[in-house]
Amino acid sequence: MREQTDFDAIVVGSGISGGWAAKELTERGLKTIVLEAGGPVDPAKDFVEHVQPWEMHFRGMGDRAALERDHPIQRECYACDEVGHKFFVNDHDNPYTAPSDAPFRFFRGRQVGGRSITWGRQVYRWSDLDFEANAKDGHGNDWPIRYKDIAPWYSYVEKFIGITGANEGLSQLPDGEFLPAMPMTVVEQDARAKILKAFGGERVMTIGRAAILTQPHNGRLPCHYCGPCERGCVTHSYFNSLGSTLPAAQTTGRLTLRPNSVVAEVLYDPKTSRARGVRVIDAQTMQQTEFTARVVFLCASTIESVRLLLNSKSARFPDGLANSSGTLGRYVMDHHYGSGASGTVPGFTDKRTIGRRPNGIYIARFRNVKRAHPDFLRGYGMQGGSGRSGWGRGTNMPGYGAAFKQSLIDDLGAWSLNASGWGETLPHEDNRITLDPTVKDKWGIPAAHIEVRWRENERAMDKDMSAAMAEMLDAAGCTNVRTHGSNNPPGHCIHEMGGARMSKTATEGVVNSWNQAWDVKNLFLTDGSCMASNGCQNPSITYMALTARAAAHAVDAMKRKEL
Amino acid sequence: MQRRDLLRAFGGATAFALLPLDAVAAWSRVASGVRVAEGLSDGQLALVGAIADTILPRTDTPSATDVSVPAFVNVIVGENYVDTQRTQFLAGLDAFDAKAKTDTGTSFVDLAPSARGTFIEALEAAPRTGEPSRMYWRLKGLVLHGYFTSERVSKDVLHTEIMPGRFDGSAPLRVPAAKSGGEEHHHA
Repeated sequence: MREQTDFDAIVVGSGISGGWAAKELTERGLKTIVLEAGGPVDPAKDFVEHVQPWEMHFRGMGDRAALERDHPIQRECYACDEVGHKFFVNDHDNPYTAPSDAPFRFFRGRQVGGRSITWGRQVYRWSDLDFEANAKDGHGNDWPIRYKDIAPWYSYVEKFIGITGANEGLSQLPDGEFLPAMPMTVVEQDARAKILKAFGGERVMTIGRAAILTQPHNGRLPCHYCGPCERGCVTHSYFNSLGSTLPAAQTTGRLTLRPNSVVAEVLYDPKTSRARGVRVIDAQTMQQTEFTARVVFLCASTIESVRLLLNSKSARFPDGLANSSGTLGRYVMDHHYGSGASGTVPGFTDKRTIGRRPNGIYIARFRNVKRAHPDFLRGYGMQGGSGRSGWGRGTNMPGYGAAFKQSLIDDLGAWSLNASGWGETLPHEDNRITLDPTVKDKWGIPAAHIEVRWRENERAMDKDMSAAMAEMLDAAGCTNVRTHGSNNPPGHCIHEMGGARMSKTATEGVVNSWNQAWDVKNLFLTDGSCMASNGCQNPSITYMALTARAAAHAVDAMKRKEL
Repeated sequence: MQRRDLLRAFGGATAFALLPLDAVAAWSRVASGVRVAEGLSDGQLALVGAIADTILPRTDTPSATDVSVPAFVNVIVGENYVDTQRTQFLAGLDAFDAKAKTDTGTSFVDLAPSARGTFIEALEAAPRTGEPSRMYWRLKGLVLHGYFTSERVSKDVLHTEIMPGRFDGSAPLRVPAAKSGGEEHHHA
């Protein structure tokens, strides 16, 4: 039987954004093919969250030699470990380059489900503080949308995927459609109250908002608190496309999911000024196939979608498809993160935790919310957690013998509390993705060359993260307060955004307010590439909301015969 | 393995003169291009077992060797460590035993349990510089990791629940306490 190659819609990528595009387009009646560069994942076989340390050869310390051989870059991600490495790409097959003085980390997962399998699950709505930031301080271009445009779509996606969190009524961090909040620990509750008091209510430590179920939801089971979500979840208790959006799309009968399909190029038809379809290289056989459709959604991830457009050259678009503005590949951002502080919490030794909460605490942005900070623009949120030190403290502690052993078993040690900042990066036109002139991936596609640098504003903000967190720990009554800085290069946060930014006019950006390419109206980019600024919130929920919104717009436009 | 890596690993050439003869021999073997064994020799495994059981002896709960901690140490040193780390560690192990012989007149494995304890106590009280101290503290970390992540200790001593089914952030402490507390799995 000849393979069907003509569809109503093509979606490139099956991760967080691609899954949502697939669900919305199929539910709205379009015969849709999802092209995923990686292979299939079978949760029953491939998820490894319940593998215990004693079942691992290196007891969780990792197969260093194998990781260095196959994942020399990916291994720097905490989730690319002894059992989780299978959800990360082989670095030799998937190269990228960066200037020697501007290191960049590109952590990638090519499989059905993409990085939604390994993501951090933290979800925070943007507010108008974020959407208005570029317009107010002049860095980057003004967003063509505001919170009111996306708010109903946040609600729409949150209701489907299930979000745990607590309402706080903060203007800079709008509440969402929350399932019951996970509990804070006893020391987090105490610190929250003391910090609220010490800073006049301006610094709010709340429980993390996460795409994890705390009660049954849409046929999925609640979290059983085993801990390492990034290795998968057989009960589908955290959101990933494999367990939520892709099955919903499948149910419509209009989904074709094609793994091992590396999209090399978006095909442009100059006669109609539209995208005709895509050219696909089979990841295993290298055979090439063209797929055609009325509408194309790029959801391949920020860097991959930009790379794909840069590699889609034609007489009309010699510098990359949909690039009449010349902004394609520019204004790339990531969150600079990791600077903060930790301390010991005296007391509470009669209390402990039960269960491994796959979530932490969040301190909502408090800089440049009501007053301008003298040292930097924009702001940061802080993420962290608390716990008792357990037997691990014995590693660095004098002691031996029966009493030492018994103390490590009986006494859980002191409580500690820590948090680090996740900071907004100013959009800069020279933070840029281009195609490497010589390096190609295993499929012959030019590798991305990524040049992104932290600048003064980011560095000033990093310093403040450490100092501000130390102040908060002091206020919370912690002892032994220690600050830590961060040397994380761009990309390390895995919140890469921009490169095909949304804009008010065709001359300033790549997509319009509906994530629709200005130059190619049946082409949509709904992953992180569309972001014109990057807030300080973990971005995935915003991609989901924008994707659902764009899909609805596309289908409506098709029904009106505008597409 | 380059000689300069070894020099760096041992903290410079002056450290050479202070190393016990066994360690010097181990160093010389590597510096001359002869690769050290991938893992621990039988003698080194016995020494690791003796140190591990001094730190975590058998009581009403298992000892370190009861749950095969030396085999775990062998896996990490032999397969996980890079060459420099392995060489350092093995030379440190030899240095440790040489020091035991110098201080007590006998190999560590031949000491009575109380004498082993006295030796460890003195070593722990000393500054954590130079071999064998650096090796000892690395080993202590491996011993604790290997012990508390073993199946028997996880299940029977710490009573770890794989699927606790709930999270309580202010549960009363019970003795013996489950190792479900303290740790958190979170990244954004």
